[in-house]
Amino acid sequence: MLKPILQFGAIAALFFLVWFGLDRIDWMTIFQVEKTTKNIEEKLGDLYWDILKKVNDEITDKDVVAPIDSLLTRICERNDIDREKIKLHLVDKDEVNAFALPDYHMVVYTGLIEDCENEAELCGIIAHELAHLEKGHIMQKLVKEVGLAVLISMTSGNGNPEIIKQAVKVLTSSAYDRKLETEADLTGAEYLINAGIDPEAFAAFMFRMSEQEKGLPDQLYWVSTHPGSEERTQAILDYIEDREVKVEMILDSTQWMTLKENISKN
Amino acid sequence: MTTSSIGYIPGDHEAEKASNSYLMSLIAVIAGLPLPIINLIATVIFYLGNRKGTYFVRWHCTQALLSQFSLLIINSNGFWWTVGILFRDGEVTNEYIAYMITAFLFNLVEFIATIYTAIQVRKGKHIEWWFYGDLTNMICKK
Repeated sequence: MLKPILQFGAIAALFFLVWFGLDRIDWMTIFQVEKTTKNIEEKLGDLYWDILKKVNDEITDKDVVAPIDSLLTRICERNDIDREKIKLHLVDKDEVNAFALPDYHMVVYTGLIEDCENEAELCGIIAHELAHLEKGHIMQKLVKEVGLAVLISMTSGNGNPEIIKQAVKVLTSSAYDRKLETEADLTGAEYLINAGIDPEAFAAFMFRMSEQEKGLPDQLYWVSTHPGSEERTQAILDYIEDREVKVEMILDSTQWMTLKENISKN
Repeated sequence: MTTSSIGYIPGDHEAEKASNSYLMSLIAVIAGLPLPIINLIATVIFYLGNRKGTYFVRWHCTQALLSQFSLLIINSNGFWWTVGILFRDGEVTNEYIAYMITAFLFNLVEFIATIYTAIQVRKGKHIEWWFYGDLTNMICKK
């Protein structure tokens, strides 16, 4: 009886040995896996943005774009994130919403900016979406909900329009799972602390929105797609409890008010 | 893999049946690649159909069946790993590629061994595989 057991052990050992040995070879480079994944992401990002651009107006007015850009730039610079790779788009829409798309596209609706009481709140949302991008949550969510095969067919131009519509909806108006949201919240809070922005404002924004949401759920996309806001607010507050933040304003109150006025004019 | 004697010379019809058990697993491997359980089911059916055959036929049906198990585990793992990548995490890792190549190599070795055994058994030679042969000897009694 012992002999077959030993023989089985030898086969299993051989298998793991071959596997381990082959794992030493950098197959990712040989098969250009990362390059292919990057290509798919790039194509998906462009596809998504093209679809959104067709039905929405992008704001290119420098007076509006420049202040938002300075907020994003501060967060990126202080967190060693390459600002150049992020494609920031401002969209003229009343919905209180912001979301990230594949290949570092970040979309912010004017409705969200109008709802923020100060720059720190807006930075909170930007940092949260930036965390989704940096942690690779976008592709994880798409693969989970749409499927890799469908995504590849979309990028090759063979996607069914109905499926593409659904795939767009997945990123613009549905939540990430709780684990990913919490990770983005806390990473976002860390980005804010590093950038000298008060993370408590982000928690306050979430709390305020969740209160308002009870009255008008349809317009507040960002909060209605980010459920459990009260618990998450608490989680952020717990995370930053003992942290010291040296707040450095990016826009002064006049610049912030001007930004809001310019948005309402658009 | 060794050639040994079973104490008698099998007849032509016996050799054909015994050899077919390997061919069965071979064909089923090809058909069952996406779902590794198929080749096991096919071999089990063939085994059940021949378990009352002569010793030579029974012995080789058993060895053909047993030899499927290690591949079943390896291929099932590879299959579910792939499903996980396609529908859940979407991340192809170096570890995964190495696993799939290892699985392919083991499948290839077994594929070649199966063809060789099917040919030899068809000629009436008694081929015992390393490990599976010993296991079969423990299960299959004259």
